[in-house]
Amino acid sequence: MSSDYEISDDDESYYYDDEDMMDGTQDDEEDIDMADFGDDFRVAPKSKRKSYELDYDSLTQKAVEQLMESDVDYICGIFGVETSTAALLLRHMSWNKERLIELYMDNPSKILVAAGVTVEEPSAQGAAIRSHSSTSSGRRPTRSASKLLGMGSGSKSPKPTHNLALTKAPKPPKPIPFVCPICYDDSPDLRQLSLDCEHCFCSGCWTAYVGSKINDEAEHDIRCMAEGCTLATPDTFVRAILMSPTVDHEEQAANAATWARFQELLVRHFVASNPNLKYCPYPSCTNTVSCPSASSKASLTTIVPVVSCGARGIAGSSQGSSLGSKEHKFCFGCAIESDHRPVVCGVAKLWLKKCRDDSETANWIKSNTKECPKCMSTIEKNGGCNHMTCKKCKHDFCWVCMGPWSEHGTSWYSCNRYDEKGGSDARDAQSRSRASLERYLHYYNRWANHEQSAKLSVELYAKTEKKMEDMQITSSLTWIEVQFMKKAVEEVEKCRTTLKWTYAMAYYLAKGNEKELFEDNQRDLERAVEDLSELLESPIEAENIPTMRQQVTDKTVYVQNRNEIVLADTAAGFVEGRWKWDVQVEGFDAPEGPDY
Amino acid sequence: MDARLRRVNKEIADCKNDKTSNIKIELIDESPFHLKGSFPGPEGTPYEGGHFEVDIVIPDSYPFQPVKMKFITKVYHPNVSSASGAICLDILKDAWSPVLTLKSTLISLQSLLCSPEPNDPQDAEVAKHYTTSKNSFDDTAIYWTQIYAGGPGPKKKGKASVVQESSRDEIAIAGLERAHVEQFEALGFEKSKVVR
Repeated sequence: MSSDYEISDDDESYYYDDEDMMDGTQDDEEDIDMADFGDDFRVAPKSKRKSYELDYDSLTQKAVEQLMESDVDYICGIFGVETSTAALLLRHMSWNKERLIELYMDNPSKILVAAGVTVEEPSAQGAAIRSHSSTSSGRRPTRSASKLLGMGSGSKSPKPTHNLALTKAPKPPKPIPFVCPICYDDSPDLRQLSLDCEHCFCSGCWTAYVGSKINDEAEHDIRCMAEGCTLATPDTFVRAILMSPTVDHEEQAANAATWARFQELLVRHFVASNPNLKYCPYPSCTNTVSCPSASSKASLTTIVPVVSCGARGIAGSSQGSSLGSKEHKFCFGCAIESDHRPVVCGVAKLWLKKCRDDSETANWIKSNTKECPKCMSTIEKNGGCNHMTCKKCKHDFCWVCMGPWSEHGTSWYSCNRYDEKGGSDARDAQSRSRASLERYLHYYNRWANHEQSAKLSVELYAKTEKKMEDMQITSSLTWIEVQFMKKAVEEVEKCRTTLKWTYAMAYYLAKGNEKELFEDNQRDLERAVEDLSELLESPIEAENIPTMRQQVTDKTVYVQNRNEIVLADTAAGFVEGRWKWDVQVEGFDAPEGPDY
Repeated sequence: MDARLRRVNKEIADCKNDKTSNIKIELIDESPFHLKGSFPGPEGTPYEGGHFEVDIVIPDSYPFQPVKMKFITKVYHPNVSSASGAICLDILKDAWSPVLTLKSTLISLQSLLCSPEPNDPQDAEVAKHYTTSKNSFDDTAIYWTQIYAGGPGPKKKGKASVVQESSRDEIAIAGLERAHVEQFEALGFEKSKVVR
């Protein structure tokens, strides 16, 4: 323990020296100088963004709905159409307002038909007649089925009742008395509903149809039920169907849930259409994050857009565990889980792919084994002399020159043909391959170690909680005063994630001064984190609690700052274009020739 | 679901009453939701004279989700799997509409036999055969109609000569690779069984 403490002192002085070199962190330094340990941690106010963080907003479903409404109102104002019409048009155009306005100005009836607002019939507008023939044959695939069933509808008569009869409703085509063409119910108190196309169906069938579309198919674009009819259901219509009062309370609740799901689908569609928005990937979370600075692919070479929707925990998991209260953190730029700072998406992806590939296994075999010259079995030499006897075919050969052992004559145990012919070339090739493998393994082992340690911190947290309880009992400390343990564990986990990714980054960084500086920062952080981890694992005794508390607090603040230095410096490096890679990374310049 | 049962019963009854369409729907077992439909092969096609049976499964969410259909009778057609009878047809998937009925869907299948869509195939081998050599495809389709769907067989030849001839090229006409058949024969299977 005492030795730990000394190391920490060394670190402290090192850290202050170092700090002067770093830009952008000097403000923080003063805070630490003055930090009173009894006052626990300096917690940066939420509004203050650090240099390696970026601006983003977390939006609730309500907030996104408001964005949608403002877009809809905007279109309503320009086109002079109803709200539901504007919504259908915008959805049809994937919320691209400019393109919608352009197309609408060009040919309003065409786009109204395509979006399912109107059917192509003369009553809509004069212009609609023009587009009539082209659209009617254009939408349906040229399938025999549609040809056959469409026989009647090919005629120009737009009368919907006529269409109704065509769809093989076996009862007389005259809808008096009304028979729902879907469920064949003919009770007189049946409620009929239809869109503007006047394809009448009973309300029960509409409810079942809309419910099936929304719940089974996750589809928000719901068209009329008549075969070949392209009219879309406006939101008001869907709402009227789902929210109308029913006798059965259970059914009403189910319909209300379907309506909520419908609204969620609309929001999801809006978010997916907008590059500035992303839906929180955590299960059953309905928040959206807006991060315009990371919306373009090019921006991903200079920033790591790690965002958080602000919510915590996963529905269904217990709130007490640390997993249950995990922050909803994700990368806005790529699909990688959680936080891959400081390394950018492109390099992180490259590294994960490398780790997944079996190629490294093959590399290992290549560097560590040879094949028996006779039976071609793969052999690993794990000690002993160069006189090999193949276990399988009993062939005797020399490991060095791979020639038959009998030719070595009396010069046992030293191959005098070592430096001759192409043998030395083969040896060089093998050692190069081995060196590159060892290099990879060096980084991979550290990467994997930090990943493992970060996972173990969940366990560590459980232990820590136990310790905190003990401390509350064995000392006069209050609950709030033992919170330093929790903070420390959280900080360790965070830093291990950073460290993990620094190894991925270091693997791909081209050799040079920049890389050395990077690795210096990495080393400092790593040492600090390991110290703190060790301290957290040490046994707690009543008499040393105050010392312990001070040490942990002390180190936690230090670790926190080292982590910020690494993140800030790396982020600044990306903005300045300081980092050079020794492989081709998407969005970056090609590596320089000699280094590669 | 009450409405589903009512609708299916009505559809079956309607089909029985309609004598003109030649479409038949029968129960396979007790359940009205597992049916067998059948229709004659359309005239003027290689399927003429055949009797084609279709397995029909009615899902819980019928008629709001499409009915599940596949051929029981083996059919040599680009949009029908020659192995499983699975059918590639838009109205059985995304172009389904609740107003379509079992009968209208079976009529659609019948018309699918009239006009194959080799560019959107279910069975790639058959589709390739169709596009590369239409005559040879027709021969195979007629042959399949004869042996599986009770069709009349090739028009210009007597039945006896067909039987004789079939042993010569039954492998090719069944759309199989000679090497595969020989492989099975080597394992001790009779040639006629292998081809079937």
